Amino acid sequence: MHTKKASIAFALVLSFLSVFSGVLFGAEKLNVVATTTTLASIAREVAQDKIRIEAIASPKQNIHHYAPTPKDVFRVKRADVFIHEGLDLEAWRQPLLDAAGNPRFLGEEKYSIDVSRGILLLEIPTTLSRAEGDIHAFGNPHYIGDPENAKIIASNIADGLANVDPENAAFYQKNASDFNGRLDAKIKDWETRMAGFQGAPVVTYHRSWSYFVKRFGLSVVGEVEPKPGIPPTAKHLAVLMQQIKDKKAKVIIKEYFEENRTPKKIAEETGVRVVNLSQAVGEPENAKDYLSLMGQNISLLEGALGEQKGGVL
Amino acid sequence: MRFHSWILSFLLSFLYFSPLEAVWAEPAGGPSLVQEMADIKRMVAAMESHMEVLKSTVRAQNEIIERQNYRIEVFEKKQTSLSLQAATTQQTPPLSTAKANAGFNPDIGVVGTVQAKLTQNKSDEEGNNSIALKEFEVNLGQVVDPYSRFDATLTFNDALEEQNVEVEEAYYTRWGLPLGFTGQIGKFRADIGKANLLHAHALPTADYPLVIQNFFGEEGLASSGLRLKNNIPNPWDLPIEVSGEILRGNNGSSFAGVSRRPIFNTHLKTFFEPSADTNLELGWTTMFGTVNPSLTIDAGDGTTTEWTRPEGTDKYGVKLYGGDATFNWFLPEGKQVTWQNEIYFQNRSDSADSTNATPWGLYSLIEYKLSPRFKPGVRFDYVNPLEVSGQQGTTSVSPYLIFWQSEYADVKLQYSHTVYAGGEKTDNAAFFVVDFMAGNHKHAVQ
Repeated sequence: MHTKKASIAFALVLSFLSVFSGVLFGAEKLNVVATTTTLASIAREVAQDKIRIEAIASPKQNIHHYAPTPKDVFRVKRADVFIHEGLDLEAWRQPLLDAAGNPRFLGEEKYSIDVSRGILLLEIPTTLSRAEGDIHAFGNPHYIGDPENAKIIASNIADGLANVDPENAAFYQKNASDFNGRLDAKIKDWETRMAGFQGAPVVTYHRSWSYFVKRFGLSVVGEVEPKPGIPPTAKHLAVLMQQIKDKKAKVIIKEYFEENRTPKKIAEETGVRVVNLSQAVGEPENAKDYLSLMGQNISLLEGALGEQKGGVL
Repeated sequence: MRFHSWILSFLLSFLYFSPLEAVWAEPAGGPSLVQEMADIKRMVAAMESHMEVLKSTVRAQNEIIERQNYRIEVFEKKQTSLSLQAATTQQTPPLSTAKANAGFNPDIGVVGTVQAKLTQNKSDEEGNNSIALKEFEVNLGQVVDPYSRFDATLTFNDALEEQNVEVEEAYYTRWGLPLGFTGQIGKFRADIGKANLLHAHALPTADYPLVIQNFFGEEGLASSGLRLKNNIPNPWDLPIEVSGEILRGNNGSSFAGVSRRPIFNTHLKTFFEPSADTNLELGWTTMFGTVNPSLTIDAGDGTTTEWTRPEGTDKYGVKLYGGDATFNWFLPEGKQVTWQNEIYFQNRSDSADSTNATPWGLYSLIEYKLSPRFKPGVRFDYVNPLEVSGQQGTTSVSPYLIFWQSEYADVKLQYSHTVYAGGEKTDNAAFFVVDFMAGNHKHAVQ
């Protein structure tokens, strides 16, 4: 009798799970999860309404130190495709995949799109030692700061989605091509606007702007962090401030989630300008997509450098 | 000579009558030649500037290509060298095999925790006024096959009277079971609330909350067993995670301490995001276990007596329920406020005159990460302990400060003021803890 009741209860639970699995995770759209809001934005450009896309890391938090939540585990568990930046940008990526236990992303690469393929990496370390701080074993992973790399990312996403969903392959490729065309026009405009600041000496908070400054011809003369990921010390700041004065650096580039106190102190001592830039769509809130995000970065930097240069913004 | 004069005259005439005259003349109402020349100069300057940008870009690209080529060359040399070694030492290939296998070896990380403790208690009891290597963890983990992985934490310590080694965790995870379940088997930290899941170095405080220590042991509850977990689909699109565990009964101070008397544990948790900057995690724990047939009863005057149940163990005589709530508030510039709370109740069938049939306890911890380096916080503890019945519980307040030298090394300072059950004994303790880690160390997502 008890066995019969248990069997009925088990069958009911199975039915419940099956029904809701079907309703919630309907097959009409691909469930795509991207590790960052920026990747989600580019994926949206490529796939438009063919996918249901969600981003994991909040744009307001440091991507290296993001702590995945139960909601993220839930998202990855039910996702069809996982898009990530590869390398070791998202140190939390593997623990998240392990926690979600979605077999698609554990045994097969088909459903896991690594957008770093084909990117020319900078700052590849020749030796690995934590004496050099929080260095990245495969090279600097902040490549999304160079809009030329965003074109590669869009193409990688289109290829990856086409692999999973061959019926819409042409649609994804066309959208990626359109996005890259619009980006080309913007890059031309941004390069023209930044042409007057070639070689301008700048300071960055973290080594997260290497690709950006290379693209736009700026020269990094120092970093607020003594080594990547190591909080600044008084001794390092004294040296940095002297470097800023000697090399006539104009601007400190930092991200919104980085503390303001130290850059402000440096600014007070040296007269350098502090400008908040971002590599995450949604921070600031009006950076709705990659193009507007980078456009805002250029405008802010142009303004800051221009003010220093001519004295008037 | 006459011929040259003729050519010269011809050229002069050409220049005089040619349209160049029109170029040199200033047309009425048009821009002057000087103006046009200035425009042309500006255009040339702009083009030169663009040219410089292009040159700089090409130089940069060449640099990258050179570096990538160099890396490819080095890589190819290594490959060739390995191939040659393999080809020339076919009979003794250990070097190449070792290199090839290196990628399959487990990831290894180590974490050390050294703790110095000053206490008001002047007795020679172990742990008073001492410095000790509290833990030296060796973490191992690797994918086993496309369906599974293993993780292990081996702990060495010098904190007790004798050095010892413990398998803190060692478990095998199998993903993709029917209906999306994930299974784990081995020894692991039980899925109870929040603090019990953390290794000692990952705690914000120098010690586990008192209720965890009293109910599950000084280091919390870790035991061999089996765990199944899954997310429950629901119409509200909420993450609702459930886990069920059957644990060997030889661990956890609330239970029998007998291996063949298992502990059954379930944990249910959900998660909300009230706003873009806040989140709230709620959890519920239910445990059943067998009562301990033998109890050490503290008489409160420093003497203890052993009490044994005359009727033997009572199966499922311990029912334990608990709730946990964690609220995070993310502020600009990487600042963060966390408020974490756990509360546990027990209903035990082994009560006697001097034991507690309904022990309970809670802790509430609030902390503020104010910069990349500093995080102050305070933990309040209350526990109506297992051993003492009918008296006021133990209360403790522990302010603390964490200082991060880097992501891989931190220092914790903590002061604890504790009033023990009955209110007669108090203790003041100061902790100084140094944590350091190296290698591959990643925390599981909670």
